[in-house]
Amino acid sequence: MPSDTGDTGASEIMLAWKFLERGRVAPFGGHVWPTPGTDAPGPWIQPPGGEVFACRISDLPWWINAELWEVELEAPIRTLSTQVAGCRGRLLRRMVGWDDVALRAYGVACAERARDLVVSLFLREGRTADADALRQTRSPLELCRVSQGLAAEATTPATTMAGYVGASAFRAAEGRAAAAARHAADAAMAADGTPGVLEREIEWQARWIVERAGLGVPTVATV
Amino acid sequence: MSKVRPQDLTCKELVELLTEFLDGALEESVRTQVEQHLVWCPGCSEYLRQFRATIGATRKLAEEDLPQRVRENLLDAFRHWRHGS
Repeated sequence: MPSDTGDTGASEIMLAWKFLERGRVAPFGGHVWPTPGTDAPGPWIQPPGGEVFACRISDLPWWINAELWEVELEAPIRTLSTQVAGCRGRLLRRMVGWDDVALRAYGVACAERARDLVVSLFLREGRTADADALRQTRSPLELCRVSQGLAAEATTPATTMAGYVGASAFRAAEGRAAAAARHAADAAMAADGTPGVLEREIEWQARWIVERAGLGVPTVATV
Repeated sequence: MSKVRPQDLTCKELVELLTEFLDGALEESVRTQVEQHLVWCPGCSEYLRQFRATIGATRKLAEEDLPQRVRENLLDAFRHWRHGS
């Protein structure tokens, strides 16, 4: 069991996932991760005075980036709300299913999910024509244009939510998948104030990534 | 658009925290908020990129690299700034 600080105290290696920028660049540190060999993991990285952070499946949507790698973290492992941390880590292999095409498709899928939610709201408000206009959009840019037109009045829950859908679609059209996903989740939260809505959206987004990138379920391997 | 997630940082808040972020001086929960904001916010991630580029460029400057006139203008500007004028 993790302690209050998240330290599991386990002497284990944890398999996890890590998003990096193109070229294996750490998004915040800016350093380049050493690449694994053909049959061997990359060398261990131990940041001075720091830890290596990575994702469980459920954490992936919080840290979207261009490259997705399977990594090993060395204990002690700390379990945090949206990531895990080990004293050092190394790259095992790149998940080739997560490429630029997948990244862009992820943003579009999130925007379309938000569109479907707002369509159901418009139908509930009896605004069938507006729902149809959204349903008939064929590209993120078109979805953005129609959503922003509907959001201009922003007088009902559906029109308010349409603003978030428009923002999501705009970012999806730009290829900024993380922003598209973010606004899509905001749309769901604006539409549904019930507890756990964000967690459900994150879960859906994580499932999408898992299926598209072909991730297995990471395990904790005893050394 | 209003903020849907009350615990989130705004872009303005992020900008105010950026120096401490780069110095590694933020506590973990705040640092995580900053990083999560940077993941999705194109404007703030570009701001961070420019900030880092400026730091990198100024590190390469030595005092003698500044022309005398630029140096005097800068010192003058700082003196006026410190006096609040």
